Amino acid sequence: MTTERAFKRSFDALPAIVAFTADSFAREGVDPALQPAVDFALEELFTNMVKYSRTGKAEVRIEMTGIADGVEVSLTDFDVDPFDVTRAPDVDTSLPLEARRPGGLGLHLIRRMLDSIDYEYEKDRRQSRITFRKTSGESPGRHGAAETGRK
Amino acid sequence: MFAIESGPAGVVVARGRLDAAQAAAAQAFLDAVEGVVTLDCSGLEYISSAGLGVLLKTQKRLVAAGGKLRLAGVNRHLQDIFAYSGFDQLFEIEPAP
Repeated sequence: MTTERAFKRSFDALPAIVAFTADSFAREGVDPALQPAVDFALEELFTNMVKYSRTGKAEVRIEMTGIADGVEVSLTDFDVDPFDVTRAPDVDTSLPLEARRPGGLGLHLIRRMLDSIDYEYEKDRRQSRITFRKTSGESPGRHGAAETGRK
Repeated sequence: MFAIESGPAGVVVARGRLDAAQAAAAQAFLDAVEGVVTLDCSGLEYISSAGLGVLLKTQKRLVAAGGKLRLAGVNRHLQDIFAYSGFDQLFEIEPAP
């Protein structure tokens, strides 16, 4: 079963997204221990859509489906330019404090916390769709990265 | 829900969820601290990359002035985020018991 809901393009929607995730986890019987990572990924991807889309005004649709040992989540953004989140560069986390700059960590981190993340863009409809999976298996961690793809 | 307030001497207490919507309030509070400061994270449930940016900016400012920001009472989820972001090399981190 899939639960879905649309959210206004605003940081103010974040509490409602967290509540939707908790409710979906309960409905789908997903392990609550996975929710912090899913919350993190959803916030990073959603706030990217809010910050960087200059044209999209439609609400962002989020779908959540229970899968074996975890959950699959999709975010769909309408009337937007393409931005493939799977190709964003990693941050050099070995730099000393004086060389580190705030920013860019969100996509770097979600690739280490998720099992997989895919990006799809429909040019004719100007529609972006990001789908990620999180299960109770080991995450890629500090030195790894989630499987990525572009459909 | 997020709250940040002064605790005992040299301690700042953060509670709840430090997400993108709360980062500006957290930054405004931490911009006023000086010296060696311990951020009590025992009630901090969640932090986003916007929150990480707040901690990094604060650490850079404090270290440049001879102080530092310590992170105490850090839960397992936050420990993972700090490790994946390299913050475990930039901050003194005390895990939650």
